[in-house]
Amino acid sequence: MMKLRMGTGVIVISTALLFLCLPFCSSSVPNDPFFGIAPQDEKYYKSSDVIRCKDGSGKFTRAQLNDDFCDCPDGTDEPGTSACPGGKFYCHNAGHVPTSLFSSRVNDGICDCCDGTDEYDGKVTCSNTCWEAGKVARDKLKKKIATYQDGVKLRKDEIEKAKSALDKDKAELLKLKKEESTLKEIVQQLKEHKEEIEKEEEKERLRKEKEEKEKKEAEEKANEEKSAATGEEARHTNEAGKHSDAKDYAAGETKYEQSDVGDSYDGATDSPSSEGSLLNEVEESVKGAEGEHAAKSETDLRVEEKKSSEEIINTGNDASENTEGLSKEELGQLVASRWTGQKGGKQSGEAEDAKKTEEQEDLTSESNNEEYEGYASETDDDSNRYDGEDETEDDFREEERDDVSSSYKPDTDFEGEPDLSDVVATDNPSWLTKIQRTVRKLFKAVNFFETPLNQTDAARVRKEYDELSSKLSKLQSRVSSLTQKLKHDFGPESEFYSFYDRCFESKQNKYTYKVCPYDQASQEEGYSTTRLGRWDKFEDSYKVMAFSNGDRCWNGPDRSMKVRMRCGLKNEITDVDEPSRCEYVALLSTPALCKEEKLKELQHKLDSLNSQQPEKHDEL
Amino acid sequence: MKNKTQTLPLLFFLLFQFLFFNHVHSWKKEEFRTCHQTPFCKRARSRTSSTSTPLIATDVTISDGNLIAKLVAKSKQEETQQNTNPLLLSLSVYQNGVVRVTIDEDRSLNPPKSRFHVPDVVVSEFQSTKLWLQRVTQETLDGDDSPSSVVYVSDGFDAVLRHDPFEVFVRDKSNGNTRVVSMNSHGLFDFEQLKVKGEGDDWEESFRSHHDKRPYGPQSISFDVTFHGADFVYGIPEHATSLALKPTKGPGVEESEPYRLFNLDVFEYIHDSPFGLYGSVPFMLSHGKQRGSSGFFWLNAAEMQIDVLGSGWDAENGISKLPKNRVDTLWMSEAGVVDAFFFVGPTPKDVLKQYTSVTGMPAMPQLFSTAYHQCRWNYRDEEDVEHVDSKFDEFDIPYDVLWLDIEHTDGKKYFTWDNVLFPNPEEMQRKIAAKGRHMVTIVDPHIKRDNSFPLHKEATEKGYYVKDSNGNDYDGWCWPGSSSYLDMLSPEIRSWWGDKFSYQNYVGSTPSLYIWNDMNEPSVFNGPEVTMPRDALHIGGVEHREVHNAYGYYFHMATSEGLVKRGDGKDRPFVLSRALFAGTQRYGAIWTGDNTAEWDHLRVSVPMVLTLGLAGVSFSGADVGGFFGNPEPELLVRWYQLGAFYPFFRAHAHHDTKRREPWLFGERNTELIRDAIHVRYALLPYYYTLFREANTTGVPVMRPLWMEFPSEEATFSNDEAFMIGNSLLVQGIYTERAKQTSVYLPGKESWYDFRTGNVYKGGATHKLAVTEESIPVFMRAGTIITRKDRFRRSSTQMTNDPYTLVIALNSSQAAEGELYIDDGSSFNFLQGAYIHRRFIFKDGKLTSLDLAPASSGNARYPVNTVIERIILLGHASGSKNALVEPSNQKVDIELAPFWVQRKNSPAVMTIRKPNVRVTDDWTIKIL
Repeated sequence: MMKLRMGTGVIVISTALLFLCLPFCSSSVPNDPFFGIAPQDEKYYKSSDVIRCKDGSGKFTRAQLNDDFCDCPDGTDEPGTSACPGGKFYCHNAGHVPTSLFSSRVNDGICDCCDGTDEYDGKVTCSNTCWEAGKVARDKLKKKIATYQDGVKLRKDEIEKAKSALDKDKAELLKLKKEESTLKEIVQQLKEHKEEIEKEEEKERLRKEKEEKEKKEAEEKANEEKSAATGEEARHTNEAGKHSDAKDYAAGETKYEQSDVGDSYDGATDSPSSEGSLLNEVEESVKGAEGEHAAKSETDLRVEEKKSSEEIINTGNDASENTEGLSKEELGQLVASRWTGQKGGKQSGEAEDAKKTEEQEDLTSESNNEEYEGYASETDDDSNRYDGEDETEDDFREEERDDVSSSYKPDTDFEGEPDLSDVVATDNPSWLTKIQRTVRKLFKAVNFFETPLNQTDAARVRKEYDELSSKLSKLQSRVSSLTQKLKHDFGPESEFYSFYDRCFESKQNKYTYKVCPYDQASQEEGYSTTRLGRWDKFEDSYKVMAFSNGDRCWNGPDRSMKVRMRCGLKNEITDVDEPSRCEYVALLSTPALCKEEKLKELQHKLDSLNSQQPEKHDEL
Repeated sequence: MKNKTQTLPLLFFLLFQFLFFNHVHSWKKEEFRTCHQTPFCKRARSRTSSTSTPLIATDVTISDGNLIAKLVAKSKQEETQQNTNPLLLSLSVYQNGVVRVTIDEDRSLNPPKSRFHVPDVVVSEFQSTKLWLQRVTQETLDGDDSPSSVVYVSDGFDAVLRHDPFEVFVRDKSNGNTRVVSMNSHGLFDFEQLKVKGEGDDWEESFRSHHDKRPYGPQSISFDVTFHGADFVYGIPEHATSLALKPTKGPGVEESEPYRLFNLDVFEYIHDSPFGLYGSVPFMLSHGKQRGSSGFFWLNAAEMQIDVLGSGWDAENGISKLPKNRVDTLWMSEAGVVDAFFFVGPTPKDVLKQYTSVTGMPAMPQLFSTAYHQCRWNYRDEEDVEHVDSKFDEFDIPYDVLWLDIEHTDGKKYFTWDNVLFPNPEEMQRKIAAKGRHMVTIVDPHIKRDNSFPLHKEATEKGYYVKDSNGNDYDGWCWPGSSSYLDMLSPEIRSWWGDKFSYQNYVGSTPSLYIWNDMNEPSVFNGPEVTMPRDALHIGGVEHREVHNAYGYYFHMATSEGLVKRGDGKDRPFVLSRALFAGTQRYGAIWTGDNTAEWDHLRVSVPMVLTLGLAGVSFSGADVGGFFGNPEPELLVRWYQLGAFYPFFRAHAHHDTKRREPWLFGERNTELIRDAIHVRYALLPYYYTLFREANTTGVPVMRPLWMEFPSEEATFSNDEAFMIGNSLLVQGIYTERAKQTSVYLPGKESWYDFRTGNVYKGGATHKLAVTEESIPVFMRAGTIITRKDRFRRSSTQMTNDPYTLVIALNSSQAAEGELYIDDGSSFNFLQGAYIHRRFIFKDGKLTSLDLAPASSGNARYPVNTVIERIILLGHASGSKNALVEPSNQKVDIELAPFWVQRKNSPAVMTIRKPNVRVTDDWTIKIL
């Protein structure tokens, strides 16, 4: 090993000598006139003796190429010196990746290229580290490719699953809609019947009343008259009643049809609200206790916030009037809070200070403060967190993050909504037919013209109506939630389908961050929840999930969160940060980002790296 | 229901309050005393010459080279009970036109305590310039009954002590013996002598919830000062107000506070107010078309209030005998003594030289500190630091210093690190230093009262804290909570403090780390007016009221001297301070505190920085971008374009604001900000030369136009534009979406647009179209500046880069300029290790001359740096060649871009690659 090292050292020195000026030469002009030029560019420079500035601003002679004087503002004439601020210097970096540097790096005393070619004026000596650096890079790249290979498969599976699930959803929706309309009809009929029955019952009641009255009167009369005449009259009245009833019924039918039309029309305007509320109900019931808790703590939080803003107002306001009554500590904290926007004493975050302040005050304030400090901890090598640049830039970094605890909730089984199971157990396609049959039977069985009504029949109709209309409303809410779901953007290949109704969590210090795509992102600490944003959209060609309009920050913007995604084998949040106050950034690794094209790109990159290996290094 | 109806309006009210609170300036005016609420100011301000007790000078004689006299009340009957004892006056004269007058109680009469003379402000070298007065001439002034005593000051100037009524002035013999600067010409002099509290004496004062014992009773001093032949007065920083000081009292002046000098930490200060801010320099400069400039400095560290009196202010006393064309001022101080300096001028630069001969020359800064600084409250952790640092490289934007605010510490205990956020501070600094960059950490004067904090423990044991009026360690509130404050008045404590900066004591510090002193007014969150109580006690029984305005100065001094010690006296310190006092220029840079991201604050930063420069504090700047609030990208870009010309160029932001590093506002804005920063880096050789000029003459880097054009009246109140050195005129753009602006270009010679090379006539106002690309900057014909047009990661890598000379020829095809170079960091320049060249272009020939005096020492600063490009603006010929001598080389002259890094930069006449060394004598002749 030692020997080999010394060997490479010799190589470095000799190559250095090749490139560098001899010791007596203090000039910054490189010996090779084509120094710093990328291979693909050499033709441009070698084709003629008078070379044009690439930006068209002028031209220069071969002698002016790399003569350490800037003739083209874009740097065309000085690829190998620092003379043009706008120029680029190409390092070959044999054994590693070639790079292009700002010409400001040439001969600045800092070794930038791993092959050291950017420093040739003799002020510093750079050793060639390309082989070592390249090996590390290649290893990382290989690892990354391995991840991508598995990830691509996972992603494909995911997409397949998503496609069939989506088809299923769509088919279900279609079916549900059909069923809905059928069921609606049935319910409508039942309703009509029910109303008919109710009308009959009313009539019956009235008749009975009347009868009783008449009976009474008759009884009174009977004392004076004969009974035969009474029977005649009664039959008359009955017949008249029947006749008018039939008329009413027909009128009723047309009326109902009309209202049906009206309903489906109204659907556009009316139903969203009703659907919405249904949807909410369903969601709430689905989320169960946890959801309720979240909702509750959210309102709590709102109250708290209101409270704290009141306090702030008071401090802002009363600073002028009420400082007199304050203790020295309170006054100090109050004045400090002007700069910090927090309640006093928290900057120090010390228990000692907390003791001195009122507990209540500290609760609100401290949580703020800790929030601030909370982000400031875990170091992590991802330097791209704040600016959201392309993933390619951190190719070599992303594998190294397993220090952050993270978990994600297993799928809440949407299909398994307990309340709907009876309706949506759609494996049995005959349930509706069954119902239709039952209802038909019922209608047949019930003789609406029978007087008085058969009480059992009436009860059956009523029960059937109640049951079916509740079924209908469940069906409708299912239709509406499915419709809502399908409105979402699941990505160009539906690769984010599985994110629906799912949350990813990450615990960092005392905070739990919860990212629920298509819903919201939040930060929880104990019982308090802060909404970091509501689902907004995908950004940056589906590399970022944006959540906006979260809870308001004191003296700041509404909170917001961007979730930057990268290829990984599991869906997990690997980092959360608050680079700017109340603007959060999270990293989510997910197979959904393991794209095949990218894998090909990486493989290509590795191939080209390997092909550039100098032969001799293979022995190492 | 009942509840609802009651709470709803309340909620609305609170909401309204909340919005209101968020949107309106939060300056807490009522927390600070007005003159009316300040007894000494109220009394002095209402005094007139007819209500004050006239004093006369008696027993005038020469003693120890000084003119001395007693001041006694003119008539026994008018003597008040308070001021029975005669006062002692001493007048001394120094070289170059400086007269010093002290007036104090007679210590031989055993006053209750001796009054405070501010130590360690007047430099020791000043004493050696004293002229030993031998004789005094008696002379009776026109219209006087009694004689005056006259002593010689310098060629053309006398100092006069008029006996009855007592008046001191300097007069100009060449100008008919007219007064230049005078004291007590209006008879407003008043001196309250210390007393022993007797039965029934109630001197105690309360302000809001604070109480001041005032054990010695009222002890204020006030007097009038008149600047003769003056059109305007300037100076007395620090205020957010215009450059030419507006009258605060007199006919036609709206009800105004006097200019207050009382160092205060003012939350969200407003942009136009005579209100006192973080620093105080009781030095005023006058300027007038006829007479030129004169100056007056009152060395006194107690609260001071200064009225600029509008003409006709004394009309009620009848027409003044004094000629018009003067500015009267009223100076009032709560305590201390009269220790006043008169500066005769006559040019503004003379006054600066005279003033800095008393309080010291501005320190020669570290070269890196004259470049761009990146700051934010807070760069949170090591990762954040690395990230921000790498982004500058990614976007090819140079920067030299990355700053860490209070959150880097462990619980606001300075000299410590938060070990979660900054577990490896040395490693972090090394990484930054590997790119030639530096870091700055904050060290404030409040010490956390935490017994586990060794610094606190030691300070407590040694009794190093300022005491409260009962003699206990004063306990105030600042960032760490309960805090105490070191008594920086004591040289022993300062020295002890300085030792804390050694690498052994400041664990985690490295040689690339420098220091920021904030909150040193001192800021005390629960103190009166957010500062220390006036009856707190310093070493030797000095009351805080007497030393208040200099507290931050001593702290700054102690830190700065600590850094010198840290580097074994070899490395120049860099310490930024917020509080300042006369003499601060010797210790480091100053910034204008917590400004706001508003156009008005951008605007007022110019008169604020100019005024600091006029008070000797050349190395100053305002937070680029504005500390509070979020600047719109346009404002931020304009701020960079202007801020790149501040002597101290730092971006800073409050922790509640959005991130605003230069690359966060889209490609175009990044480009504009990069260009603004590049301009500063290109001009670093010019700036460094100007810093050296300030270091040797006191003349500031950034100057009001009238300093370069003293007879151009049109410039006297111009504070929208300023000069950098004698060559560049910079006009800020202070409005949104500006399409055009008016620029007055003074002088007879023309000006060259510093972006295009286009020529503009001097002595005229030009209406110019404004683009987003830059603010208007002009180069004065007849000057030469040096640039470095190659950009690096930081100034460190530019050391060996070649120079560009820009020669702007005047109407006689001539120009001159200088270049100063040294190693940029050590004190070797004091031994002569520097290069100082003068470039002179005339008769078609450029000559480089050595300016370094042969006697400056044996040390040399060896460099091989060459001049790669010489740009000639306004050259008449179309020559193609030039001849370099003595090497006899022919070099090409061609049309080349004025700025090589800018796209479409206009082509200008350029001597290509003369490659002459800056160390050598040579000439280049246009053929």
